[in-house]
Amino acid sequence: MNMEIWQIIVLSLLGFYAIVENLGINVFANQALIMGTITGLVMGDLETGLAVGATLQLMGLGIQAYGGASVPDYMTASIVGTAFAVMSGRGAEFGIGLAVPVALLMIQLDILARFCNVFFQKRIDNAITLMNLSKIKMFHLLGTVSWGLSRGLPIFLVFSFGESIIEFISDVIPEWLTGGLSVAGGMLPAVGIAILLRYLPVKNFITYLMIGFIAVAYLQMPMFGVALLGFALAILQFKKLISEQSGHAGLVTANANLNVRGGLSENEYEN
Amino acid sequence: MNTKINQKDLDKVSVKWLYGSQLSWNYERMMGGGYLYAMLPVLEKLYDDDKEKQQEIMRVHSQFFNTTPHMGGFILGMDIATEEAEGYKAKDTVTGLKTGLMGSFAGVGDTIFGVLFPTVFGSVASYLALNGNATGVVIWLLVNIAILIFRFFSVRIGYKQGVKLVSSMSGHLNALTNAATLLGVTVIGAMIPSVINAPIALTFTTGDVELNIQDTIDQIMPMMVPAILVGVIYWLLGKKHFNSTRAILSIIILAVALKALGVM
Repeated sequence: MNMEIWQIIVLSLLGFYAIVENLGINVFANQALIMGTITGLVMGDLETGLAVGATLQLMGLGIQAYGGASVPDYMTASIVGTAFAVMSGRGAEFGIGLAVPVALLMIQLDILARFCNVFFQKRIDNAITLMNLSKIKMFHLLGTVSWGLSRGLPIFLVFSFGESIIEFISDVIPEWLTGGLSVAGGMLPAVGIAILLRYLPVKNFITYLMIGFIAVAYLQMPMFGVALLGFALAILQFKKLISEQSGHAGLVTANANLNVRGGLSENEYEN
Repeated sequence: MNTKINQKDLDKVSVKWLYGSQLSWNYERMMGGGYLYAMLPVLEKLYDDDKEKQQEIMRVHSQFFNTTPHMGGFILGMDIATEEAEGYKAKDTVTGLKTGLMGSFAGVGDTIFGVLFPTVFGSVASYLALNGNATGVVIWLLVNIAILIFRFFSVRIGYKQGVKLVSSMSGHLNALTNAATLLGVTVIGAMIPSVINAPIALTFTTGDVELNIQDTIDQIMPMMVPAILVGVIYWLLGKKHFNSTRAILSIIILAVALKALGVM
């Protein structure tokens, strides 16, 4: 199956829009699953889109760009992976195997976009010197172009040569490698989970990590059930902390009262 | 400075921050351009009579700034309240306010909006999506829209509460972050056995007895391989020179090797 021209254009624009949106209003929230779902709808195969998006989403958990670091871009990878999975007719596994290297390559383009914007920053400084407010606005908004093109352009190019890329992969890349990549697809969520655990103060919460694990591994509880269980435990914790705090605050006021009294008695003594 | 900032100005700032906070993000000033861009409607009004001061304050606001976009609105609101009350002489106060708060706000904001929301809603949505069910995606989008609405009001809240917002928020915010982390860790614990897929295909045959490795492992502890995998990567990530990209590459190499050897 070939991609229609409208599909190529819509998906390139989606990639362009998604990164700009992610930097701002963040409703798609840099998420591979949402991108996979939309791409699946555009390609006319929602189920494959959900499968590719969900797998990449789980791989990318915890991998977020903090403080301006560049990380694997599973959002763009999800668009490319889903489209190729549908186009090749070889299913979600094929798309996932292809998406992983795409996500890693996108790191370089992310760095390039962030670097290009230094140019616009200089123009903004210039505009301040000239007191030209409309230029300040314009050069700030022009950052959209470098951000958007860093995602939209590669997507457009890859899809334009879509058919030959699939032929190349099918002819040149051996079975054991694509098989290995799909095994990697199953194991990669471990990386995201480990990163999340590094980010959160796990040592204080190890009990809850075990509760979650036991609920699924031994009790086969569905994910939504665990989320509710965690929510219930979180309410308990919140209430406990608030009451501890108000107890503490009460103590402070009591101390303050004591001090005031102490002050008064001292004054009396002086009198 | 008798020009009063009204709600319409605040909302203008809020909308500009929502879509524009990181558009000119760059390695030199990060969100500096975005902060200035959002503040422009207020700066045009407050310093209309003195262009020299206006230029100077624009320089101040285009300096280095970086925080979680979700939390920046509060800082903008406090900044506007301070500048409206004290005018140009608040320049240093405002710089201190911005640099002092951006780090601590980013700490809370990254944990809640960057880690916990995507973890909880993303994993539930992915879990459903793997079974071909898109409901989780829709729920997640609705949650993100709710967050967006909350963010819209953050500039107004910051403006009304002013600097005292920091002290009034800190107590509840700590408890909230703590409770949300608890929820996140519970869900992560559940994700280890449910989303990592690493079955062992290896079997040993000695005479008539066939030993299936996966069954043997399951008898010791179900989902032991995923748990060990996470433990090892967690440990490696604490080492120097080991980062997420290297972890991903090592897993790919390991998976290809294990598949080629017939272990998986």
